Amino acid sequence: MNRLLQFMGTVVVFILLLLGVNLYLSHSSGAATSDTLTIYNWGDYIDPDLITEFEEESGLKVVYETFDSNEAMYTKVQQGGTKYDIVVPSEYMIERMIDEDLLHPLDYAQIEGMEHLVPEFLDLSFDPGNQYSVPYFWGTLGLIYNDKLIEEGSITSWADLWNPEYSDRLMLIDGAREILGLTLQSLGYSLNTKDLNELAEAEAKLSELAPNVKAIVADEIKMYMIEEEAPIAVTFSGEAADMMWENENLHYVLPEEGSNLWFDSIVIPKTAQNISGAHEFISFMLRPENAALNAEYIDYSSPNQTAIEEFIDEEVVSDEQFYPNLADVEHLEVYKNLGLEYIGIYNDIFLKFKMK
Amino acid sequence: MTEKMKWSKLYLFFVFILLYTPIFYLILFSFNEGGTMNHFTGFTLEHYSTVLQDSRLIQIVVQTLLLALLSSLISSIIGTLGAIGIYYVKNVRTQEVLLNANNILLVSPDVIIGSSFLLLFTIVGFQLGFVSVLLAHIAFSIPIVVLMVLPSLEEINPSMLKAAEDLGANGFQILWHVILPNILPGILSGFFMAFTYSLDDFAVTFFVTGNGFTTLAVEIYSRARRGVSLEINALSALLFIASLLLVLGYYYLSIYSRRMKKVKRGVAE
Repeated sequence: MNRLLQFMGTVVVFILLLLGVNLYLSHSSGAATSDTLTIYNWGDYIDPDLITEFEEESGLKVVYETFDSNEAMYTKVQQGGTKYDIVVPSEYMIERMIDEDLLHPLDYAQIEGMEHLVPEFLDLSFDPGNQYSVPYFWGTLGLIYNDKLIEEGSITSWADLWNPEYSDRLMLIDGAREILGLTLQSLGYSLNTKDLNELAEAEAKLSELAPNVKAIVADEIKMYMIEEEAPIAVTFSGEAADMMWENENLHYVLPEEGSNLWFDSIVIPKTAQNISGAHEFISFMLRPENAALNAEYIDYSSPNQTAIEEFIDEEVVSDEQFYPNLADVEHLEVYKNLGLEYIGIYNDIFLKFKMK
Repeated sequence: MTEKMKWSKLYLFFVFILLYTPIFYLILFSFNEGGTMNHFTGFTLEHYSTVLQDSRLIQIVVQTLLLALLSSLISSIIGTLGAIGIYYVKNVRTQEVLLNANNILLVSPDVIIGSSFLLLFTIVGFQLGFVSVLLAHIAFSIPIVVLMVLPSLEEINPSMLKAAEDLGANGFQILWHVILPNILPGILSGFFMAFTYSLDDFAVTFFVTGNGFTTLAVEIYSRARRGVSLEINALSALLFIASLLLVLGYYYLSIYSRRMKKVKRGVAE
């Protein structure tokens, strides 16, 4: 029977060894205090150096966890077994979380640096008066094309997608609001419309797009575009920046008719334990030099005006596709929560389109 | 060598190529200077140094291993006792019912197990974190251990148990000196099965992690949203080499101990 005991002993020794390493790592990676700040963010969505710097400065130990979709994050926060101090959802999810009373209102006496933010990005419909959220990154929905396969500059608007020349060459992201929204905008309507006539018109217009569509895909769009599987795709600006970094033949276009403006913002959930630490973190991320470091690491557009003007590389900021002059593009619209009934209508129209 | 042997060797070779090519492809690109899996542009060790500097990633690896070891250890203890329990049930009908109840857990999809655990923890008001993941992993590992241990129990010659009883052994002595040594191979394979299941489980873990605790599978999945970086390749290469060393070490250790036994016997004779 010695062998069984021997084996179990070895396993236990390994377990103790790993426990030791784990303890050592969690002590050496942060400050020695027991005060922690738990951050729940998208995967690979912060410059890790900033976390280290924040730990040294505040004396708090940062516990960092990642999610891959707003819905996954929502489930974890809503079910209540978690104690995240900082979460970074997208704007439509923030609206939903406010409605369901899952967020802790921000205390502006404890936050420094709100004046650095671009004024146009404050007080938006999903969170009036920024009672609950502070913008982290933002972007648009647009077109990306490959100049080896499509003449440079020949695409400038959503309407160009309907060009019969592009038969079977288009990749779309799989999102009802995105695709129907761009159709509405190409017709000159709001992407938040509740007018059934406008929606019917958009449905008819959308069905004309079907011959041009090669595929409707999700995140894989990035890989396909880099591999030059398709010449044109509809995608988000942040994803586009990643793709352009990998393949220099790609160009991002912010369509003339306007676009959807999206945000990922910092919020504090109701279940947070370290409210003052969370406020401290928000102030830390609002500092222009930190916002700039983060934007350069992630390659998304920063909402921090001072960072844009003084810290981020001139060449990046002058790119109008990623930092458009907000006055020029009139129809940059944020998605509004349309209510279940209209979301159903949007989804039905998109589903009919997909069936074709 | 006959013609038949040649073909079977060729077939074996082909199967191994098929199994190992993706892994070697992945390892090859962990040295890629280009930063993507698309084209190999040059040799670099940069990704390895990033992995070694990324203390969060290393901690996740450590926690994943810790979780796998602990959960498989506990589940092999519970599972072995469970299997012995099922073995001793006299009524064949009841035995079958118990066995089927065990198998249902084995074939039910991970997603369902994961979400039902999340619901359970929510209702009870249990904190998500290391312990919740550990409990879930133990739960899905137990049926595996039971399934691995039962066949070796059935192989025990019942007259051996009778003999032990006749010679005056009590229940514990029978368990300790007769049953356990005979089913040791089953327990070990159960342990290693549970270990590998826990190590690469994604679906169940995904539902019940929280408050800063993550396993490698969940972390890689979250990172993949922005494209898997070659850092992950480098990490996989390191893990592959580590498991290779483990297997080799185990192999040499078993050869060594066999030799030692022979030597001892030789001395005794």
